[in-house]
Amino acid sequence: MPKLFPDLMRALALLAAALVCAGLGNRLARADRKLDWTGWAPPAGLLPATPAPPPPPQAQAHPAAPEPAPLRGKGPRPPVAPAPPSPAPAAQFAPAPDAVIRDIASEAAWEAFRLRIPFLDARRSAEFQDGHVPGAWSVPVWEADAAARITEFEARANPAPLAPIAIYCSGGDCEDSRLLAKKLVDLGYRNLFIYRDGFPDWVKRGRPQERGARP
Amino acid sequence: MIRRLLHPWLTVRAQIALGAVFVAAALPKLADPPGFAEAIWNYQLAPAWLIHPAALTLPWLELLCGLALCLGVWTRAAAAWCAALLLVFATALSVNLARHHPVDCGCTQTRARSADERVADMRWAILRDLGLLALAAQILAAGAARRRDLAFSPETDTMEGSPGA
Repeated sequence: MPKLFPDLMRALALLAAALVCAGLGNRLARADRKLDWTGWAPPAGLLPATPAPPPPPQAQAHPAAPEPAPLRGKGPRPPVAPAPPSPAPAAQFAPAPDAVIRDIASEAAWEAFRLRIPFLDARRSAEFQDGHVPGAWSVPVWEADAAARITEFEARANPAPLAPIAIYCSGGDCEDSRLLAKKLVDLGYRNLFIYRDGFPDWVKRGRPQERGARP
Repeated sequence: MIRRLLHPWLTVRAQIALGAVFVAAALPKLADPPGFAEAIWNYQLAPAWLIHPAALTLPWLELLCGLALCLGVWTRAAAAWCAALLLVFATALSVNLARHHPVDCGCTQTRARSADERVADMRWAILRDLGLLALAAQILAAGAARRRDLAFSPETDTMEGSPGA
């Protein structure tokens, strides 16, 4: 047993060296490569459920809102897809007390965009810079400055707790939108919409996008 | 047979191979700790408080252990860490494979593709981890055997098994 003592001390020394290097490396890392030492991501099983959206009412006949002017953009934009008919564009984004987080399909996401509902992009900064929904706010949930970006969004967009907010990531099994939604629920927001097919679907449908960081 | 398996010639090569794999595996994770944290989170095994410290520290531990093995310094301690990490990785992959939860391995890259490709990757990653575990076991067993042989020698293992030793 005493012969193992030097090896044990060396193993602990390796761990200590790794901790020191991790601290220094994280301090010197670029902003989009930094990670907080304390995380807030709950286990996937504890993420809030996202019930399916209720079917839109059929009787009303609102005229389709005109397509919003591009908010800002630097890169090329594909042709704008025709707007699908939506009988009650705003009603489906009204707050529902029993469902603070709801999944929305592609058409509803387009409607939210047309209604100038703020979009939050939960993907990584690099992915955001490669292309995002015009006017979207970048809140990469896994990067160290996610909380600061939420604060910036709150300061500049000043959303009410019951104001609709759309969130997206990469679609498929991407859970970053739900992580961000959980964080926003913790901050008091009660009317969140997750665009479940995410940005790949947005691109596939030829909708406008912009590139680069948000100014 | 056992003596051949524990021969220093084989140990040196096992150290270099295992060390090189750990260095190569550490570099992409060091370059993107948030991506590695997401990969750990996707395993749905680690508690929330552990994910970020693990994502920041494990890549450096892998790098240091890999370098130690390649350079022949503190080889038993480094091989013990490698074996422990490989056991954790293989167990985490096996658990998720058993519960049909395809995850991005996060072993040498921090992004993956479709669910089917992930499942295939997971199977290969488990096999690879077991192979690497055999290398770590060889290094540890050879170190223990050499220590028995040198029981009355005051030498340390500082450069034990290194190419120049």
